[in-house]
Amino acid sequence: MTWMRSWEGFLFLVLVLIYALNAWTSPVFLTVGNQINMVQLSVEKIIVALVMTFVIINGEIDLSVASVMGLAACAFGWMVQAGVPGGWAIVIALGIGLACGAFNALFIVGFGIPSLVVTLATMIAFRGFARVLVEDRGISGFPDWFNALGQRGLVGPVPLAIIMFAVLAVLAFLILQRTAFGRKVYFIGANRAVAEYSGLDVRSVKIRIFIASGTVSALAGIMFAARVGAIRGDIAQGFELDIITMVLLGGVSIFGGAGTMSGTILAILIVLALRNGMALQNITGHIQTGVLGVLLILSVMVPIIRETGSRLLARVR
Amino acid sequence: MPPVLEMRNISKSFGGTAALSGFSLVLKPGRIHALVGENGAGKSTLIKTMTGIHQPDSGEILVDGQPVTLRGTAAAQRAGIAAIYQEPMVFPDLSVAENIFISHQNRPQLIDWSALNDEAAAMVARLGVTLDPTRSAAELTLAEQQTVEIARAISLNVRVLIMDEPSASLSEHEVQRLFGIARSLRDQGVAVLYISHRLEEIFALADTVTVMRDGQHISTRPVDQVTQASMIAEMVGRDMAGRFARAPSKTTGEVLLKVSDLSRNGVFRNVSFTVNKGEILCFSGLVGARRTDVALALFGVAPADGGRVELAGKTVTITSPAQAKALGIAYVSEDRRKLGLALTEGITPNLTLPMLPKYSGPFGWLDRVRELADAQAFRDRLNIKAANLTVPVGTLSGGNQQKVMLAKWLNTRPRLLIVDEPTRGIDVGAKAEVHQILRSLAAEGVAIIIISSDLPEVLSLADRIIVMREGRIVGEFKGEEATDEAVMHLAVAAEVA
Repeated sequence: MTWMRSWEGFLFLVLVLIYALNAWTSPVFLTVGNQINMVQLSVEKIIVALVMTFVIINGEIDLSVASVMGLAACAFGWMVQAGVPGGWAIVIALGIGLACGAFNALFIVGFGIPSLVVTLATMIAFRGFARVLVEDRGISGFPDWFNALGQRGLVGPVPLAIIMFAVLAVLAFLILQRTAFGRKVYFIGANRAVAEYSGLDVRSVKIRIFIASGTVSALAGIMFAARVGAIRGDIAQGFELDIITMVLLGGVSIFGGAGTMSGTILAILIVLALRNGMALQNITGHIQTGVLGVLLILSVMVPIIRETGSRLLARVR
Repeated sequence: MPPVLEMRNISKSFGGTAALSGFSLVLKPGRIHALVGENGAGKSTLIKTMTGIHQPDSGEILVDGQPVTLRGTAAAQRAGIAAIYQEPMVFPDLSVAENIFISHQNRPQLIDWSALNDEAAAMVARLGVTLDPTRSAAELTLAEQQTVEIARAISLNVRVLIMDEPSASLSEHEVQRLFGIARSLRDQGVAVLYISHRLEEIFALADTVTVMRDGQHISTRPVDQVTQASMIAEMVGRDMAGRFARAPSKTTGEVLLKVSDLSRNGVFRNVSFTVNKGEILCFSGLVGARRTDVALALFGVAPADGGRVELAGKTVTITSPAQAKALGIAYVSEDRRKLGLALTEGITPNLTLPMLPKYSGPFGWLDRVRELADAQAFRDRLNIKAANLTVPVGTLSGGNQQKVMLAKWLNTRPRLLIVDEPTRGIDVGAKAEVHQILRSLAAEGVAIIIISSDLPEVLSLADRIIVMREGRIVGEFKGEEATDEAVMHLAVAAEVA
């Protein structure tokens, strides 16, 4: 029963509880249509949350993800409008995301500037580029196949986005928990000096993570464009906070070195189910956001309470 | 003259290790009292007890003959006790005047800057130094920062000033000025406790000298009744029965590492030595002798900027730990918690960290079965005591953490193993085990460099001993010919009497 005492075990119980509560209060909740809808509506965020888990466990932060999503989506829209074939536009937009990640890495790894500062700056800069590209317009009229990928089922009722999330989640789990790269991510985040003294290639790990973060964010941005069928300059704005919230709720330490991919995935499902359940009860988005805020504070407090509790116990003994 | 501060029978232990046992000291106003002792003799603990950072487990502290309890440095300051250290503690972004008056909390809300600056200048002038009170502390030299610290203490009406190796990082000229300050404080009736490894300073400055060893008071005498030789004998004078037995050298005489004129600007210079296969070479010296910096140069963490390193006959330039690792050099740091192990991670992943490629298949997939098998093998071989191999390393005792660190680097199959303070802060049983491990490694042909401030350890392990002082090699002994006194003499720069 040790799994129940772990953070992931606790999250799993919470998830089961929320599912039970939702199923009890709404007959619609457990239907296939609603479950697909639930994931699809947030799929862009949760894909980026997967890669954000690597970033934060590595002891860094990437605030620019939502702006990269926006920039990639706007660049895609701008290119399609300018007559670039859709397939090429996707490839180029992904390349832009990769370049954004490399740009972040250059300043963080190359010049040693804290990632909080660098990505705060690029969050503003990349968003600025996106707005320069499309100004105040909304761009739509994407190819039909493109919109279909975002909106219709690919395998039965399951759309591409959900399949992509499932594949990426499994991949992220395997890379983080089962490969040498994942091990390095943990140790660099837990104690960078120890990693360096052990002869690990700290810089290359960080560079790869930031490039992955930029590329995956761009992919998420393109998927957003496909799902909505249109883009605007403010697309995905503010998403970085929701993304970071999910990762921290998953038990990933903001100081790096601790957390698991399964924690993040469970936290994602909790947030989705909670929002969806509240929406089904006609609770407004603002209140939903408030509830999530409380949830985050609680999730950060639980380990602290547990630790102080055991310390007090130890003193009593 | 009645004493201003008296420590009576002070004892203090940390986790079963006694840092101070029944230590007594009497400080009188208008006197400079020197305190000497080896690394680990308990000087730091004593200072921390005097300045309220540590509370004694037993014993009494008396100020002006009245028993007091000093809870925190603020309480010690109110009692008139302050300390300055080798590295000055100033606020770099504040001005000289602000630094001096930082602890004065009952000042008016509105600051009269010109008065403050005048007062600061006068305070510094009393020490016979001229300093612009508006300069920011970051611009000052180390010696000037120390002056600011001393002025801060005086502004708080200090009556006992503890100077903990204040001269260690100063130039000769600055040391003379520091002496002037100490003497002027003495003449103003302050009791100065002066701690230094440089014994010649004690004759130049102090009235009385106390020797401590292993947390105990050994002697207190007027300075004209002691010699450097007598002080050193008292500092090291151990019960020789407690010394570990020596093992005969296992070296084949085949040179593995040859270092010639290795230098790093401002840190160490012209360091030359060789290590043979199967040999244990110990680096002895005081804290600050730059022994660790030489090791870090060989390990590529802080590369040297001059000199030559030959490994097994080939000249190598080592610029990163990854490269050192590939060449078969391993470095076990003295700082387990900051540089050695990731405390929140498990034993197995810590142990296999430098050798991840060995356990990686296609796409970097880790062979966790093999990792665990290796970790278990090391657990049995080094007798690592842990509930299981997944517990965080931070939950282990110091001795077991040390063994995990050794295992981590033995797993890299090094040709040259550098171990920095192999047994610091671990218990006697684990210490003997670590020594045994190092000896059997040497017997297997590994060349071993040990950096240790623990003289009995050095004398029992070393085939050869190199003594460093202030960034240079100052002497070399054969293991069986070395004595405590001879090594200590070189380390503290005393003329052999």
